[in-house]
This record gives sequence, structure tokens and C-alpha cells, in this order.
Amino acid sequence: MEGSSSSSSSQPSDSNPTSNGASQFLSNLPSRGLFSSTVLSSNPGGMRVYVCVHDTSPPEGQQIKTNQQNILIRSLTLRNKKSESGSRDANGAGAAESSKKRAPERHPESRPTAKRSNSHSSSRQEGSTTQQAPIRDYQALTVERLRALLKAKGLSLKGKKDELISRLKGASGSA
Amino acid sequence: MSIWNYVVTAHKPTSVTHSCVGNFTSPHELNLIIAKCTRIEIHLLTPQGLQPMLDVPIYGRIATLELFRPHGEAQDFLFIATERYKFCVLQWDAETSELITRAMGDVSDRIGRPTDHGQIGIIDPDCRLIGLHLYDGLFKVIPFDNKGQLKEAFNIRLEELQVLDIKFLYGCLRPTIVVLYQDNKDARHVKTYEVVLKDKDFVEGPWSQNNLDNGAALLIPVPPPLCGVLIIGEETIVYCSANAFKAIPTRPSITRAYGRVDADGSRYLLGDYCGLLHLLVITHEKEKVTGLKIELLGETSIASTIAYLDNAVVFVGSSYGDSQLIKLNSQPDAKGSYVEVIERYVNLGPIVDFCVVDLERQGQGQVVTCSGAYKDGSLRVVRNGIGINEQASVELQGIKGMWSLRTSTDDPFDTFLVVSFINETRILAMNLEDELEETEIEGFCSQVQTLFCHDAINNQLVQVTSSSVRLVSSTSRELKHEWTAPSGYSINVATANSMQVLLAAGGGHLVYLEIGDGLLTEAAHAQLEYDISCLDINPIGGNSSYSQLAAVGMWTDISVRIFSLPDLKLITKEHLGGEIIPRSVLLCAFEGISYLLCALGDGHLLNFLLNTNTGELTDRKKVSLGTQPITLRTFSSKNTTYVFAASDRPTVIYSSNKKMLYSNVNLKEVSHMCPFSSAAFPDSLAIAKEGELTIGTIDDIQKLHIRSIPLGEQARRICHQEQSRTFAFCSLKYNQSGTEESETHLIRLLDDQTFEFISTYQLDTFENGCSILSCSFSDDNNVYYCVGTAYVLPEENEPSKGRILVFIVEDGKFQLIAEKETKGAVYSLNAFNGKLLAAINQKIQLYKWMLRDDGTRELQSECGHHGHILALYVQTRGDFIVVGDLMKSISLLMYKHEEGAIEERARDYNANWMSAVEILDDDIYLGAENSFNLFTVRKNSEGATDEERGRLEVVGEYHLGEFINRFRHGSLVMRLPDSDVGQIPTIIFGTVNGVIGVIASLPHEQYVFFEKLQSNMRKVIKGVGGLSHEHWRSFSNEKKTVEARNFLDGDLIESFVDLSRSKMDEISKQMQVSVEELCKRVEELTRLH
Repeated sequence: MEGSSSSSSSQPSDSNPTSNGASQFLSNLPSRGLFSSTVLSSNPGGMRVYVCVHDTSPPEGQQIKTNQQNILIRSLTLRNKKSESGSRDANGAGAAESSKKRAPERHPESRPTAKRSNSHSSSRQEGSTTQQAPIRDYQALTVERLRALLKAKGLSLKGKKDELISRLKGASGSA
Repeated sequence: MSIWNYVVTAHKPTSVTHSCVGNFTSPHELNLIIAKCTRIEIHLLTPQGLQPMLDVPIYGRIATLELFRPHGEAQDFLFIATERYKFCVLQWDAETSELITRAMGDVSDRIGRPTDHGQIGIIDPDCRLIGLHLYDGLFKVIPFDNKGQLKEAFNIRLEELQVLDIKFLYGCLRPTIVVLYQDNKDARHVKTYEVVLKDKDFVEGPWSQNNLDNGAALLIPVPPPLCGVLIIGEETIVYCSANAFKAIPTRPSITRAYGRVDADGSRYLLGDYCGLLHLLVITHEKEKVTGLKIELLGETSIASTIAYLDNAVVFVGSSYGDSQLIKLNSQPDAKGSYVEVIERYVNLGPIVDFCVVDLERQGQGQVVTCSGAYKDGSLRVVRNGIGINEQASVELQGIKGMWSLRTSTDDPFDTFLVVSFINETRILAMNLEDELEETEIEGFCSQVQTLFCHDAINNQLVQVTSSSVRLVSSTSRELKHEWTAPSGYSINVATANSMQVLLAAGGGHLVYLEIGDGLLTEAAHAQLEYDISCLDINPIGGNSSYSQLAAVGMWTDISVRIFSLPDLKLITKEHLGGEIIPRSVLLCAFEGISYLLCALGDGHLLNFLLNTNTGELTDRKKVSLGTQPITLRTFSSKNTTYVFAASDRPTVIYSSNKKMLYSNVNLKEVSHMCPFSSAAFPDSLAIAKEGELTIGTIDDIQKLHIRSIPLGEQARRICHQEQSRTFAFCSLKYNQSGTEESETHLIRLLDDQTFEFISTYQLDTFENGCSILSCSFSDDNNVYYCVGTAYVLPEENEPSKGRILVFIVEDGKFQLIAEKETKGAVYSLNAFNGKLLAAINQKIQLYKWMLRDDGTRELQSECGHHGHILALYVQTRGDFIVVGDLMKSISLLMYKHEEGAIEERARDYNANWMSAVEILDDDIYLGAENSFNLFTVRKNSEGATDEERGRLEVVGEYHLGEFINRFRHGSLVMRLPDSDVGQIPTIIFGTVNGVIGVIASLPHEQYVFFEKLQSNMRKVIKGVGGLSHEHWRSFSNEKKTVEARNFLDGDLIESFVDLSRSKMDEISKQMQVSVEELCKRVEELTRLH
């Protein structure tokens, strides 16, 4: 039965559907009991035009603005924060807490930190791998950094990003 | 006209863009909320049907409209985002019936490319955040905190640049969006992202799906327990979730709108581009999706939004045709359709073109629009006033008065119609065959003129003649009692209700009788100093059959007086001033407010507010309705009271929002009217006009009356020809045979009275009609239709070939007289100095109408002017030509007769992309551009240098918020020569959303006054959701945003009369002008449309 009905529906419906075509699906249409089942009377009666004379400014704090931080800078800061919190995590959970708090306050244009983070990450790869870093963290890394990690493990540097990640994963899984 | 312009909406937008259903006005009330571009409408679902509640103007073009329920709230909030990057969250306060702003903000970014596929605004089903996709490559998030308050918004980079749709997925631990996008190889994919609020970033979501249907453009998120998403393509529909993938093929179609039927998301309604409605069913076993099914239900208008309401009733909102309320029947009708249309909501949009005509030669314009698109195309005749649907008519000359009577006091219908003539009275009655035939009421005196008739209590009838008052049994029809006027006095005027009679005899005698059972009693008598011209005792107090007041109009001192009944004591005397006597007075009540109306012999009408306790008359207003004496009568239709003013310009007076309104009746001259509601013709009126008696019903009382002529094809250009009494229009017909789609382009000829097709000329394959004109040429008395066309070939970017066809209408048929090939599309045609001026691609070309040796005619090129990107819109005045260019704003050309050449005189150097132009006067030109702005430019003839003279100076700028397709000179209302607005020139415009608007050039003094009023009203009337009026009306396009100038917002100014008295007082104080004066001046403006 299922086969027959699915074949009928998989064909583009014809202009004259079979009598039980849609009927079977049109039963039990939801009703909240608001409309009577009889034909509804038209009610064109005038619609009141709203004239707004009260103060319409939003309550305090609900005038919403957009965060003006540049999204590129933000993502760099974020990455920086992540890697830092990662390294602190290796040392102790308490440190990570404080770094989280501090991270947003850090000046977004602190380029050197971003660069420094690179060297940091390469020098702390044991820490992060033992952390069983989820695949996502690898995804967030650039190919260059992945290669740096691979190099530190003495693995091959060839292939696409996905391959690099799986190789790293394999290495960390076996480690 | 002038540079000081007043812009006002005559017909509000009707094109429906969005809709949603939820508990907005109360936790227990279900609402349908509809967005019509710049307005939202709130409706309530009641057992009687959809009940309209509120029409809310929004200071912005609505881009998204969503209802949502934040945590801890009992009712839904409304989220609105506008195209100019503002958003607001509204809450309904049931106590005050006000819309409260819960939050608002600006979500624009300084850098960013606006999305091509429109703005997307979505709300997480678990109410954790609002997502907006406004610029390519950016996804904006407005997070909620735990208390449901909004927090600072932030952007997330979205790698996908060509996004087609984004939706939130249901049932996800973290807010997850699903993105439908197109890659740079034009393949379409979906991808999911989780939004990490803490990091303000995305992480890869649980699943993605590559290489979907190439036409996939719509995502439907499926609620729990199924979850996942439906991807609607042109040939397939796919259900996708983390662990399931189901697909079905469909007949090729483009789905435009969807509506979810069940809360569990197992059924959906899909509306496609041809108006076909399908039901999509997700079959499932418990929470496991087993397949998809799709069934055709039937045809509706082409939907832009679908909302399932309740009990199989669905709202179908359309921007291409009328919106509809439909019912889904479980069994198909004879045509196999499951769809039953319960109600249609008129939509004029998109108005592609229109013309202004005066078909009835009433001195009042009617607008005939090319409305709708595709199969929903139609012509709409829009006119101000009220139509009478004639049911029956008899030829009867010299009617002096008419009254309807019943056979018994509690009969719901009228039986007799008493018609009075100068020296006889005839009685008509409905017979058993529902025909009017002459009958007799024995007790009535039928050899003399009747002055007044009325039903009386206890199954009696009253007739007043010049000599006596007769009380007659309505059952036996015999005379029961008679009161005779004292000898030497004849009754001049009389009035009665079911318990009272008031009459005036010569010499200022006023006599008051009371009606008993078979008895007329003279209860009071008064002697006034002058003769009485008119009387009324229409009961308006609590008792519907007994009046405590009598209104009396006087000769000589030109006054109206209010007497108390039954003692006939004078309580108020109001001098009318002037020398014209009152000819008809009427006591009436509208919306619980009592008025005294007093019509003068010269067609003026005075109205006063009447205090029914003290008889005091206040708030006097005077309007001019016609030029002949007016007779006033009340009638009721649909439980509302109206007053009919019979005169040379018959008018219906009614009240809306406690504001007295006057609406013209589309009849030429009416001498008398009386309500005549018989069983055969319920709610009808008997109307005496021009030697005939008509029985008819009255149309819905509304300001603009719209008649629809469905075409089943899309009319694109229209014009009217007075001489042949025809319309001609260019039309586009879509033919669908099986899967093959083709278009046919036609020129149709239409009778201007019956609106029937009388002739059709089919254009060549690929040939589109682009312009149409009715004109005549010098040295030729015939009037022709000229049609400009373009061959739109699929391989060409811009048409390189077109034609100008010249037709004459002979015996109701098109005869092709001449044709001329052109080197491009003929975008515009104008009659110009007895020649034909055509805009052909980038060129303006002038053609002469030449007589060949063999007597045939031809178009011969005379001269031209290059220098446009595309000359799309052309208007002429004298020797001047104003051109609206595709993207180079307005330029002014001039034709030089001696040299036979066209030269550019001046141009506006702004880069406006034009959508319409019009010439206001010799020096000032009006333009509309595609960012929904209006502007005026002025020719600078007195400039010192050539450079200055060659520049059109921008003198007015305004954001209308509507896309204008056409301007035309004309007026929708009858211009009464003596009224103050009679001299104000106006332009009518038509827009994509179905707006008909009026631009009026005000004298400078008036402009300054209303500008001051507007700025004061801005302080009192606030934008809903905290949106600013100044910002909304500021001219804004991609290049610049500047404050509006030399344009006034009539919609804001005219809402003055809807304000409460205290707010009026506030404004009056600021303006230092009395409220009455303000009301009067604003009401005058309302009569412009």
C-alpha cells in the first residue's frame, strides 16, 4: 500500500487529482475552536487607524547597537584567547578562568600577541594533544599551524587540511 | 504647480508581503498580523470570522515580520525590521490598547554590500537570539538574556556569499542555523552552523548537504519531534536532518510561500508562482520520517505569504492579486479543487500604469489602473464616492416627495411607497410577485400633494396634506381620525415620527400633535415671528419613537431654532448668517454623537454638535455639497446610520472615527430619497432622479470605490480615447500548456462603458508592447492609437529593434494605418506639436505624420537627440521635453522649430535611477527614483552663466517609501469651485504596492503653516516602535541621505483630526491657532483626495 501511494505522489500531481488524492491528507485539520465551522461572514467593518501618541522610546538599555569591534580582529583575539586559555589549562584550571576574564579587555590591535601565540602553540603541542583536543579545534587552526604540529610529531606535512587533521587525530589517538 | 508639495495617500497599500499568526493582543486571543509594506494590520480570529482590529502605520518598509514569545511571557511579541536597517520589538498593552516598544535599534553597518536576495530576519525557536542577514558575508546576532531582554548585537562572518535562505533549526541544544547558499559554480548547498554566543562566532553545525536542486530557494524548518529542514526546490523537495534524507520530485514550479498547518510540522501549504496551492505532507512513524508526499489542492491568488488560521481556513496574502481567505474542503468540488474562496481582499498592486478619465462627465476623475501580475492581472476602476446598484426603476415625472410605510408597526419590511406629486399622491406597493404596483390606501387623501407620511404606533399611518393630518389604520386602511388646520391657514411644512407630528402653517404658526390610538391630539401651539421653512423631529434620544427636541428652520431671520417637546418652548436660536434660507433640517446621531444638520438653498450644509439635554448647538461647520437646495434624509445600512443629501450632487454623510465624512454618490441629480427596505429588496433606497424612480442598494460606504475587471493577463500600459469611447492597453498573456510556457503580447481595445474586449491586435513573437498613446496629428482630423514596441530577444541585453504602430478605431475595431520600424525599444510616446515624440533606447526621436502621394500616411523621422543611457520616461509641455533616464536623473530638452532640432537645455547631475517623471509647471519637474524617493528639480533660466543655466537645481526631496510607476495630472475628487482646495493643482501617482497617492502644490503661505503643523505633530504623534518620522521621510538612496524638504507628509498631518482633544489642544497651543481653525484647515486638505 505504501508503495502505491508513494508512486502516486512522486509523480507530479495532475491537474485533476484523483478523488481521494488530497482528501486523505486534509482530514483533521487543526482547530483551536476559534472559527466556527460554518462559512465565515465577511466583516469589512472599518479598521481603526492607530495613532500613536505615547512615548515609544524603548525601555532603558533596550536601544540596541551593534558591537563595533571588527570581526576579523575579534576572531584573531578569540583565537589568541583560546590558545592562551589552552596553554593555561595545561597548567591549571584556575589560570584559565582569569584569562577568560581578561581576554575581552585586551586591546584588539595587539598584533604581537597574535604572532606570539603562534610560537606559543608550537612550543606547547604536547600539552594540547594530551588535552584530547576535539576535532573542532584543529579545524580552527590554519594549515600552517597544523603543519607545525605535524612537524613537531615528526609526521608527513603533505596533503589537504582535512588529511592533516586526520593525521594529527590519528597521532593523538594512538598517543 | 509649485515647489511646495503636499504628499498624501488616497488609497493605502494593499499588497500583502508578510503575515503571521499568534497570541499578540492577549494570551487567549489569536491574531493574524499582516504586513502591507508600510503598514501592519492586526486582525482577531473570532467565531464570526476575521475581525479587523487595528491598522498601524510603520515608519519604514517592512523587511521582516515575526511573532515570538520570550521566556516568561504569556503573549507573543512582534519583531519588525525595516529595509532601512531599523528594527523594533512591539508588545500589545491590552489595558491601554497601545503598542509598547520593548526594544528597538539600528542594525546597519557602515561597510557592507546589501544582500541581493532581500533581507532575512529570523528568531531562534527557543528565543535565545534574533538572527539577521542584511549584508553579504555577515550574519548579525541580537542575543537575548535570560530575562528576555535584548543585548548588544554583533556580526559573525558568514563564508557563504550568495545566501538564498537562512532558518533556525528546531530542537538544537545550541542555536543552530541552516544556510541555503549558492557557490561560485552556481550549485546550491545547505550547511548548518551553531552560534556560540560566548565567542560571538560560528562553529560547524551537525550536518550539511551538498548539490541540491538548482532552483532550491526556500527552507522550511520542521518543529519537534521531527526537527530538520525541508528544502523546496523547483523540481524536488528534500527533507534533511542530521540522520535522515528524503526527497521527492515535483512538477516544475517555483514555490513563493509556505504556511505550516500542524503544530508538529507534518503538513505544509505551498503556494507557487502560478497561484497553485499544494499540500506537502511529511509521513512519519513516531519521530522517524518515512517520506514526503505532495498533493495539488487548487488555485488561489499568487501567494506571497500563507497563514493557516483555524478550522481549515487559510489566509493567502498576495502582492500580485487580491489576498484571499480560503477554506480547505476535504472533498474536491466539481473542478477537482479543494480550495474554496471565502473572501477576497482588494489589492491594486502592482499598479504598473494607470490613466485618469471622467467617464460619467461628472467633473470628477476616475483612475483606471493596470493592476496585478501574471494570471491575476486586472483593470481596476477607482473612483471616489458611492455607487448605487440599481435593482428596479420606473419612469415617473415630477416627484415632490417619497415616504415608505409598513403594514403593521412590527413588520420588519416596508410595503408601501408613497409618492407625492404637485396635485396628487400615488401609492405603490410590493405585490406578491415582488413587483411594484399602484395601490390605494382608502384613508389617505390622494387628490392633493402629500407633505409628509410616517408609520405611527398601534398599526397606524399618518398623512399630512396642506389642509389636514390624517390618521389611518394600516390594517383596515381606513381613516380613524383627522385633524384639520384652522380655516384660512394652510399647512406648509410638516414632519412626524411614530408618536408625534409637528407642522407649520402660514403666519408662523407651529402646531404640535401627539398620536394616540385612533386619536390625534393638539398638544401645543406656538406663534413665531416669521414663517417656517423646514422642520424635523427625528428621535435621537434614548426613545426611538419620541423626540424631546424639535428643529425648526426660519425664513426672514435665517435661523435654526431648537424647541423642547411636548411643551414647544424655544431653547436655542442660532443665526445662520448670510441670506440663504435653510431648506432642510435634520436631527441625527452618528456614533453616539448628536448633530443638527441644516441644508441651505444654495447647496451648502451646516452641521452643529447638538447637546440633547440643553439643546445647545456648538462646533459649527459649513461645507458646500452642490449648488441646488438639499433635502436631507436618514437611512441605515448594516446597522449604521447615514444621511442622504439629495441635490444636484447627491452626497452621503456619515461618520467614521467620530469624524463627519461626505461621500459623493455616483448619480447625477437626485431630488428625493427615502429608505425602502422590502422583502424583495432589503436595505434598499428609493431614489427619485431625472424623471425616474429607482430602487437600489448602496455599496459599502468607503472613500474610494473600486471596480475590478479581471483579465487573466497582465495589462502593462493603458490609455483612453475620448472620441471612440474606448480604452486601449498593452497586455501580456502567459500561456501554459503542459510544461511549456510561452508569452503572447497583445494590444486590446476595450469599451469604456461595458469594459468588454472589442478588438485585439496580436504582436509578433518576442515583440512587447512598451508604450501606448491616443493622439492626433496636425493636418489630420482623425484620432489614433499609437503603440510603441520592442523585440525582446533572449540573446540581446538591450532591444535593438522595435516598432511604432498607428491604429485607428473603426466600427469598434483596430485598423493598422501605419507602422514604422525603430532601432530599439519605444519606451515612451508623446503627442508633441502635432507630431509624435518617441523615446527609443538612448535617443529621443521626433516623427512627422506625412501624407504620401497615394493618400496613405506614414511616420517620417524629423529630428532626434542622443545622450541618454535609456530614455525611459518622457513628458512634454509646449516645446519643452523632460526626460527621465534609466540612471541619469532628469534632463530638459527643447525643440527648436526654426532649426527643426532638439537640444539639451539643462540636466540634473545626480545619478538617480528614475521610475517616473512629470512636469509640474514650466520650471519645476517632479521625479521618482528606485530607492522610493521623490524629488523636484527647477530650471534655472536666470542663471548668470551657461553652466548655471544648464543645471537643474534640486529643490525638493522626500522619501515616500513606495515605488512609483506613473504620475498623472488629475484629481480623484470633484473640485467644487468655491471651496478653498478647488484651486490647488494635484498629481496622482500609482505604486507597486497598490498605493494611489496625491501630490498637491500648496500656496506658500499654506505650506509654511502646514510645515509648522507637521513639526508640531511629530512631537505628539510618535513613530510606532520608536521609529523616527524625520528619518523615515529623509531622502535616502545608496549615495546620500538628506532631510526631506519642500514636501509635507499629508498622512501625518491629516491624522490631526484623529487626535484626542487634549492632544489637539497641545498642538493648538504650540501653533497659537485655535483647534477649530486647525481642524478646518486639515479637513480641507483631506478633501483633496
